[in-house]
Amino acid sequence: MATRGIDFARLSLKDALDLAIFIEEEAKERYEDFASQMETHHTPDSARFYKFMAGNEEKHRAELAERRGKLFPKDPVTVSRQMLFDVEAPDTDEARTFMTPRQALTVALRCEEKAWAFFDGALKVIKDAGVKELFTELRQEEVEHQDLVKAELAKLPADDRFKTEDFEDEPVSHD
Amino acid sequence: MTLAMPAPVPTLQAKDFRSDLKPIWCPGCGDFGVVQAVYRALAAVGRPPHEIAFISGIGCSSRIPGYTTAYGFNSVHGRALPIAQGIKIAHPELLVLVAGGDGDGFSIGGGHVAHAVRRNIDLTYIVMDNQIYGLTKGQLSPTSPRGLKTVTSMYGSLEEPLNPLMYVLSYGAPFVAQGTPADLPGLTAMLEEAIRYPGFSFVNIQSPCVTYGEESGQIKAQKEKMKALADMKHDPTDRIKALSLAQDYGRELYTGVFFRDPNPPPTYDALVKARQAELSANALPRQNILDLFLQK
Repeated sequence: MATRGIDFARLSLKDALDLAIFIEEEAKERYEDFASQMETHHTPDSARFYKFMAGNEEKHRAELAERRGKLFPKDPVTVSRQMLFDVEAPDTDEARTFMTPRQALTVALRCEEKAWAFFDGALKVIKDAGVKELFTELRQEEVEHQDLVKAELAKLPADDRFKTEDFEDEPVSHD
Repeated sequence: MTLAMPAPVPTLQAKDFRSDLKPIWCPGCGDFGVVQAVYRALAAVGRPPHEIAFISGIGCSSRIPGYTTAYGFNSVHGRALPIAQGIKIAHPELLVLVAGGDGDGFSIGGGHVAHAVRRNIDLTYIVMDNQIYGLTKGQLSPTSPRGLKTVTSMYGSLEEPLNPLMYVLSYGAPFVAQGTPADLPGLTAMLEEAIRYPGFSFVNIQSPCVTYGEESGQIKAQKEKMKALADMKHDPTDRIKALSLAQDYGRELYTGVFFRDPNPPPTYDALVKARQAELSANALPRQNILDLFLQK
């Protein structure tokens, strides 16, 4: 997780909302990518879970976008996706062929934890009261998401003794 | 009479460069990070997708043009550079990117690299170096480390790996960098700088193969061992120092710009334009062109 060129001390509420939208958008896309990878590589259970996560991220993105639309209906976007790197999205190398639902949920838990760390770190330097309020709210949501994932993890049986690397994992073709 | 205000130029976002085609690389492949960095770098450069040509050879990494919205050509094994050079000469206004793996670029296509460098055609060559032939299921590649056991080296490779950084620096490449998907912000910035550089730019990306690569080369291991050249106070205008650092390829993982010529040499297209201007000064008018063949 990293950022580039964001001055948190001078962040406005409009830019903060746009960044939050981009964070959700990136996470949604990455979960969709992971779902697609799992489907391509015959790992349907984890594919279903990643699709579910993509749906959640999209829901959060839409909520934030609606809020932004009401507060700043005509103001152009002045921040970009290029400023954010995997804030809430799983790292690109986290997926594995034949990963179990438990492993998939563990990836999601790590993502909620790192998103919490992002908002927590930013809150230490943010000065604008509105941005502070928004990021405090988003940080709290990450705690709630972590609890949800932990609850789901608790329902799953333990993984067997095999590792995903024990299975053949070969390149596939587009046809 | 009133003049219509020009429409504001929309800011390009990374997602504008993402195509609908879903990558089929193995889950965990380093190339997923590379394509994310490419999207961001292209958005930062700000040229719309239809002004970009993305050419590749054959191999896992050579699928990358298809995952972008730029014009793409997944060409022939080892021949990405000649095709890209032809495209750039024919359409100098295009932004031309070239991509491929270490096998594509330094084995079957190795002979083309030197000539692309010496011509200094304004394109960016991205090598996704995973030290193995992944698509064909794990054979030795030109950058495989000595001792590596593969299906074509059951007792371990006897050969020293080819050094891509030394290779291009020795032929005089004006911009040489190395990155890794383990550092996406650094890789993005480096790609952006390479694309903006006026001349041949080369970026070697240590993009691990999750299926046939060594554990020590995977992204998590890279995060532990990578060293940013900027933190080492390396002066990227010093070619000799760059060559010295490049010798550690395979032992150390240096990331950043090894060499950036502070006085970019003229590009091939600039020289062609200058030659055309020079010759056209004394050229016959078009209507008298046949006089060249007529006996006076």
